[in-house]
Amino acid sequence: MTSDASVPSSVPIAPESSSNPSPPAENGNGAEPLLERDQQVRLKSEGGKLLLMLPPEGDLEEDNPASTLTWNEVSQQIRQRLHSGERLWQAETTVHLIARDRLLDGRQLQEIGDALSEVQLRLKRVYTSRRQTAVAAATAGYSVEQQSSIAQINQSNGDTPQALVEPLYLQTTLRSGADVQHNGTVVVLGDLNPGSSVVADGDILVWGRLRGLAHAGAKGNARALIMALQMEPTQLRIANFVARPPETPPAEYYPEVAYVTAQGAIRIARAIDFYRQGGSDRQ
Amino acid sequence: MSRVIVVTSGKGGVGKTTTTANLGMALAKRGHKVIVIDADFGLRNLDLLLGLENRVVYTAVDVLAGQCRLEQALVKDKRHPNLMLLPAAQNRTKDAVRPDQMKQLVNALAKAFNYVLVDCPAGIEMGFQNAIAAAKEALIVTTPEIAAVRDADRVVGLLEANNIKQIRLIVNRLRPAMVQANDMMTVEDVQEILAVPLIGIVPDDERVIVSTNKGEPLVLAETPSLAGTAFDNIARRLEGESVEFLDFTAPNDGFFSRLRRVLTTPIGKKSSK
Repeated sequence: MTSDASVPSSVPIAPESSSNPSPPAENGNGAEPLLERDQQVRLKSEGGKLLLMLPPEGDLEEDNPASTLTWNEVSQQIRQRLHSGERLWQAETTVHLIARDRLLDGRQLQEIGDALSEVQLRLKRVYTSRRQTAVAAATAGYSVEQQSSIAQINQSNGDTPQALVEPLYLQTTLRSGADVQHNGTVVVLGDLNPGSSVVADGDILVWGRLRGLAHAGAKGNARALIMALQMEPTQLRIANFVARPPETPPAEYYPEVAYVTAQGAIRIARAIDFYRQGGSDRQ
Repeated sequence: MSRVIVVTSGKGGVGKTTTTANLGMALAKRGHKVIVIDADFGLRNLDLLLGLENRVVYTAVDVLAGQCRLEQALVKDKRHPNLMLLPAAQNRTKDAVRPDQMKQLVNALAKAFNYVLVDCPAGIEMGFQNAIAAAKEALIVTTPEIAAVRDADRVVGLLEANNIKQIRLIVNRLRPAMVQANDMMTVEDVQEILAVPLIGIVPDDERVIVSTNKGEPLVLAETPSLAGTAFDNIARRLEGESVEFLDFTAPNDGFFSRLRRVLTTPIGKKSSK
């Protein structure tokens, strides 16, 4: 009803760091592979070009489907990402595909090329560490750069720098099963439906209804914030803190901000109050 | 000795997840340690039916990918300490798990629980193969419809081929009035086709819809419902008790239905209707 009703509306269920949802990534010296973090298709604009980065396939010897995306999942992610980020580029922008150690055949390259041309992007160059992928790409008429696997590993560690990357801007409804991970802040213009999740190293801003799972400051930054026009999450996580909403939903919704208090619990405040008080009990 | 039971049907929407949630809760109420496993990767629902959606932190896929320990992924039920849930991942597909990995998970859980109930996805593809990988027993859920029964028959064949011999049948969403009017297949019709021993008949009940939406299994309801009692009875039969099948015809008991019951009940045996 009033802000009083919505302020203490979180129930910390696992404040202990024992159930740390996503272990901090340390500095990527390659000791612990960052399994989940790397398992995402990424789009990045760099020097007037777009880089489309595929998740690595990993070691085929110890093939574990639980930690590697199948081609279908990769292809789905590519399409989803392309259709939710139109503001990131202009028509006819050149795209470089960073295929890493993914084995791609001609048909799969064609699929990526088609998905890109659907949104007026042009695939020009393919970077790969696999000879077969290089041959397929050359046959399809793309310029190819073949790198050694070792250079690829170094590059994948380079993906997790200490500084956050530029914000990811998504204009879409994230439906059940959609899973967005980003090494920076995520802005969603649309709703997060139940069953969807956004995991960001920075803040999460939802210009819409947040009904799924949001995890801000995923690498351990407890000062990260989650904001939504309408906050009705399945679960909120900031750094190592987890909270779920109260059993009885509030009667009215306001734009709200979720943050971690000095006591180490996730709280939700009305956006206007949060900024007026400057989040005085913040960590 | 723990029992690993897969709840499966072939066809979708016949009540596998509802059955798993209610049986899990009914068995937990009877003092057993129960784990229910959602094997429907990508389309998980069991957490919703148990009202545990917002407590899920890790999933089975996180365990298999080595991101957390198995215990960390288990969600304790908010009402009953004996009941736990191993949730499925929502952001992946059935191909994220292999049958041998599923077997590993189930076998690890079987050491700590009396009952392991696996909620199988619809279909007979990878998800089905995963769900039945470690099962020793199966509960086939079907509705009295020709399509559901046909799919159930196919699944019984597949289970037998996978060396799961202990198969029992649950006929779900029976509408006694329609059966009496000869508009619906009877339990006997279903049994005649499937030739699998019957362990329960659950009547169609609006309260099932209410309970699913609220995330409160029917067997917990304070005012008992026919469907809730039917699930309780299945739990008792699972434990080897012999419980009479419920009589759904009671409310509108006409002369003909009584006559019919007399004619269809074998003398000296337990009523099967």
